Amino acid sequence: MNGFPTNDFVALLPIAILTVGALAVLLSEVFLVSGRRGYQAAITVVFAVAAGAAAIARPYSGYVFNRQAVVDDFSAFVTVVVCAGLALSALVGAGWLRARNAERGEFYGLALFGTAGMALLGMATDLLVAFIAIEVMSLATYSLAAYLRRGKRPSEAAFKYLVLGAISSALFLYGSALLYGASGSTLFGELAKGRGSPLSLAGLSLVAAGIAFKIAAVPFHAWTPDVYEGAPTPVTAFMAAGVKAAAFALLARIFLSAEAGTAAQATAFSGVISGLAVLTMIFGNLLAVPQRSVKRMLAYSSVAHAGYLLVGVLSASVAGVREKALAGLLFYLAVYAATAIGAFTVVGALERRSRLDDEPADAWDLERFAGLARRRPGLAFAMAVFLLSLAGIPPTAGFIGKLYIFQAAIGAQLYGLAILGVLTSAMGIYYYLRVVVYMYMRPAAGEAEPLSSAATSVALAAAVAVVVVLGLVADPVIRLAQAAGAILL
Amino acid sequence: MNLLTLVTFLPLAGALALVLVPRDEPGQHRALTLGFSLLTFVLSLGLWFGFDASASAPEFQFEQRLPWIQSLGIGYHVGLDGVALLLVMLTTALTPIVILSAWRAVEERVKEFMIALLVLETAMIGTFAALDLVLFYVFWELILVPMYLLIGIWGSQNRLYATVKFFIYTFTASVLMLLAIIYIYFHDGGTFDYVQARQALQVTPDHARWLFLAFAVAFAVKVPMFPLHTWLPDAHTEAPTAGSVILAGVLLKMGTFGFFRYALPLFPEAALQYRNVIAVLAVIGILYGALMSLVQTDMKRLVAYSSVSHLGFVMLGLVALSAEGLTGSVYQMLNHGVSTGALFLLVGMLYERRHTRLIAEYGGIAKQVPWIATAFVIVMLSSVGLPGTNGFVGEFLILSGTWLSRLGSAPVFATLGALGVILGAVYMLILVERVFFGAMRNPANRALPDLSVREGFVLVPMLVLIVVMGILPGPFLAPAKPAVDRLIGRFQQAEARLGIGPQVGTVTPSVAVRAGAQLPAPTLPIVLPTGGAH
Repeated sequence: MNGFPTNDFVALLPIAILTVGALAVLLSEVFLVSGRRGYQAAITVVFAVAAGAAAIARPYSGYVFNRQAVVDDFSAFVTVVVCAGLALSALVGAGWLRARNAERGEFYGLALFGTAGMALLGMATDLLVAFIAIEVMSLATYSLAAYLRRGKRPSEAAFKYLVLGAISSALFLYGSALLYGASGSTLFGELAKGRGSPLSLAGLSLVAAGIAFKIAAVPFHAWTPDVYEGAPTPVTAFMAAGVKAAAFALLARIFLSAEAGTAAQATAFSGVISGLAVLTMIFGNLLAVPQRSVKRMLAYSSVAHAGYLLVGVLSASVAGVREKALAGLLFYLAVYAATAIGAFTVVGALERRSRLDDEPADAWDLERFAGLARRRPGLAFAMAVFLLSLAGIPPTAGFIGKLYIFQAAIGAQLYGLAILGVLTSAMGIYYYLRVVVYMYMRPAAGEAEPLSSAATSVALAAAVAVVVVLGLVADPVIRLAQAAGAILL
Repeated sequence: MNLLTLVTFLPLAGALALVLVPRDEPGQHRALTLGFSLLTFVLSLGLWFGFDASASAPEFQFEQRLPWIQSLGIGYHVGLDGVALLLVMLTTALTPIVILSAWRAVEERVKEFMIALLVLETAMIGTFAALDLVLFYVFWELILVPMYLLIGIWGSQNRLYATVKFFIYTFTASVLMLLAIIYIYFHDGGTFDYVQARQALQVTPDHARWLFLAFAVAFAVKVPMFPLHTWLPDAHTEAPTAGSVILAGVLLKMGTFGFFRYALPLFPEAALQYRNVIAVLAVIGILYGALMSLVQTDMKRLVAYSSVSHLGFVMLGLVALSAEGLTGSVYQMLNHGVSTGALFLLVGMLYERRHTRLIAEYGGIAKQVPWIATAFVIVMLSSVGLPGTNGFVGEFLILSGTWLSRLGSAPVFATLGALGVILGAVYMLILVERVFFGAMRNPANRALPDLSVREGFVLVPMLVLIVVMGILPGPFLAPAKPAVDRLIGRFQQAEARLGIGPQVGTVTPSVAVRAGAQLPAPTLPIVLPTGGAH
C-alpha cells in the first residue's frame, strides 16, 4: 500500500534543484574550455531562482518522511530567503573573485550545497534531519570560509570556524540524545512530552546552545568576529544572510514545540532563551562600539541582530501573538539578509585587490570609507541606506522589521526585553553612524579606486531596492510572512 | 489629490528632481530648490485660506486616509488642526527664506545640501500633518537624517561631535516613545490611528503614567527642556546658518507640538499629575537659559541658549492648561520660529562677512552696516517681547495665563517667568550694544558691506511678520482657538472621571479684572489687547 513515497521527494524539489545546480557548476569546471567563468555565477543565480520558484509553487504541502520534515508556508519563506541570499552572494562573489583571479566553480558549487542544507533546515521537524541539514550547511560554509587561502587570516578563520562548529554540532547531538531520553522520540512534535523534566531542560538547553553557535548569540559568539573578518567577504555575506535565517527557522520550530502555551506556563527553557537574548543584545552592541574595522563591526552587529531576533522567537511562544511574532521574525530575517549582504558587498568593494599576500591589518579600517561620498556617491549612498536600515531608522525596511518584532514583544507582554531591545538599538546608532560620518563628512584619504563590477552593482541595486521598497510598501511581503506564521510543528 | 498630501510631498518630489540635475550645475540646483519651496508655500496658502476656524468645523481638516501597512494596523492618515496648520505654514514660509539665505553661504556640494533641505521640509510638514502614530514616528525620525547631514557636512569646526550628539540624544529619547506607541496599539482595539486611539484607549492609571513619561521624554529632548537641553547649544552653534534656522524655527516646535497633540490629550490624567514637575523644569529652563545667555562669548551659542529660555515659556504656558496659556504657547511657538530664525539669519550674515561668531570681534559696526543693525534691533526687540512686536503678545498671554491658571502656586511660576523676560532683555541688549554700538576697535570691521538685495529679500518677510503679528495677532490666533478649546475640554472630562475639582482653565474671571488685564471671559482667548495699547 505504501508504495514509492512520491510526495516525499516532490517536497524536496527545491533542495533537489539546488543540488543539481551544484553538480552542474562543478561539472562545468571539468568541461571548461576557456578561462572565462562568468557563466558560473549566472548558472548559480538561475538555479537559486528556480529553487525559490519551486518553493513558492510548492507542488506538495504537509508532512513528509514520517513527520520528520514538513513543507509549509514557513519553510517556503525560509527557502526563498536563503535562495535570494545565495543569488545575491553569487553575484557579489562573481565581481569580487574575478578581481582577484580566484573565480572557480567550487565556490558556487559549495554555496549551492550550503543553501540546500539551509533549505532543508527550514523544513526539519526532527532532530536527526535537523542535524543532517546543519552538517550539510556547515561543511559547505567551513570550506567556503577557507576558499581563498591567502596568508594566515582566512586559514585561521576557517580553522576556528571548523573547530567551534564541530563543538556546536556535538552539543546539538548530545542534547538530541538527552531529548530522546526524555520524550522517547526525536520528532519535534513529541518534544512537549518530556516537558518540565530536568532531562528535557538539559537536552533543550544543549540543543539551543548548538544553534546559538550558528546564530552567533552571546556567549557563543566568540568565533563570529574572527570568522566574519577572515572569510572572503562574499562568503561572509552569504553566512550572515543564509546561516542566520536557516538556524533561526530551526530554533523557532524547536522552541515552539517545547514551549507552546501562554507566558505563564513557560518553562525554564524560556528563561534560557531570554537570557541569551538579553546577553546578545547588550554585548553584541557594546562590543561593536569600539571596532575600527568595519567588517568586524558588521560581525558584531550581526550578533546584536541575533538578539532582536531572539526576542521575536520568545514572543512567538505566547498564544495569540504567535503568528505575529513568527511573521515578524521572518520579515526581519528577509530584511536582514538583504541588508547584510549589501553592507558586506560595499566592504568588499573597498578591499585592496590583485595582491595574493595577506590582507593588511587595516584592510577594513574605517579610514577606507573616508570621503567615499565624493569618490563613489552611489556606493556611499547604498552603504548609508544599509546602515540606516541596520540601525532601524525609518523609512527603511530595518525600521519596519524592528517595529514588527517589538510589536510582537509588547503583545507578548515582554516589556523588559522590548525596552532593552530599543535602548540597545539606540546604542547601535553610534557605530553605524560613524561609518556615515567617514563616508560623508571626512576628506578622502586618496585610496585606490573601489571595485566596480557589473555583477556587484546588480546585487547592490537589488539589495538597496529591497531595503527601500520594503520600508515604504511592506504590506505584500508582510502578508506572505503572516501566512508563513501559521507554522506546522 | 488631497492638498495637504500634495504640500507634504511636493518638496520630496523636488528632491527627486534634483537627483536628475548634473552635479556641476549649482545654479540650477539652487533655482529648482527655491522654485519647489516657493510652490510649496503658495500651495500651503490654500490650506491657510481653506481652513475653517469656527468651533463647529471638524477638528481635523484636509483629512486623508489611505491604507499603508494594513497588516500591521498602520495607515496613511493626515489632517490638520489649527495648531498644526500654523506650524505647517511656519515651515513652508521659512524654507524658501532659508534656501535664499544659503545662496552664497553654501558653495560646496550644493546638490546634496538642497536635497537634504527639501527632504527635511517634507519630514517636518509630515510630522505636523500625521494623524497615525506610526506615520508620525516615521516623519519624526526621518527628520534626523537630513539634519544630521546638514550639521555634519556643512557645519563648522566641531561639527562631527555636535551632529553625532544631536542624533544619539534625540534618537535614544524617541525609541521609548515607539514602544509606548506599540503599547497603545494593544490597548485601543488594535490601531495606530491617532483619532481612534484617543477615543478608545483603555489603560490603567499606572500604565498611563509610564506612557506619558515615554512620550514626554521624547518631546522634552526636542523642545529642549532643562536638563535634556545639552545637545542644543552644540548643534545650533556648529550647524550652518540654514540648519540653525530650521532647527530653531521648526524642529524645536516639534517637541512642544508633540506635547500639545500627543502627550497631553492622550494621557490627561497623567499630565495633571506631572504638570507641576514640568512647570518647575520649564521655569528652571527659562532662568537657566537666560543666565547662560548672559555669559556667552559666541553669538550663535547665545541665541541657542536664549532658545532654551524661550521654549521654557512655551512649556510653562502649555502646562498652565488655561486657554490664555495654551494660546500664548502656540503663539510663542510661531514667534520663536520667526524671531530666533531671524536672529540666526542675521548672525549668519555677519559670519559670512567676518567668519567669526565671537562677540568680541565686533563692536561699533552699526555705522558700517546700518541696515543690518536696524534689522537686528527690530528682531532683538521682538525677541525680548517689546509691545508692538509679536514677542509681546505671546509672552503676555503665557504669563497672564499662567498667573490666572489653576496650576499649583501659579503666581510664583509667573513671577519667575517674568524675571526671565527681564533677563532676556538684559542679554539681548548687551549683545546688541557690544556688537553694533560703541567704538569700532577692530580694523577688520571697517570694510563690512551692508545688506545685499538678496539678503534684504531674506529679512523683509521676517520683519514684516514680526510687526504684523505684533499688531494684528487675531488671524494667527484664530485657527488655534478650536484646538485649544478641545484640549481644555478633554482635560475637563478627565477631571470629571477623576472626580476632582477643577484643575484646568483659569480661576474666577473677577481676578482677571483685578489683575488689571483686560481679559475677556476665560474661554475666549482670542480678542486680546494689541501690543500698541500697552
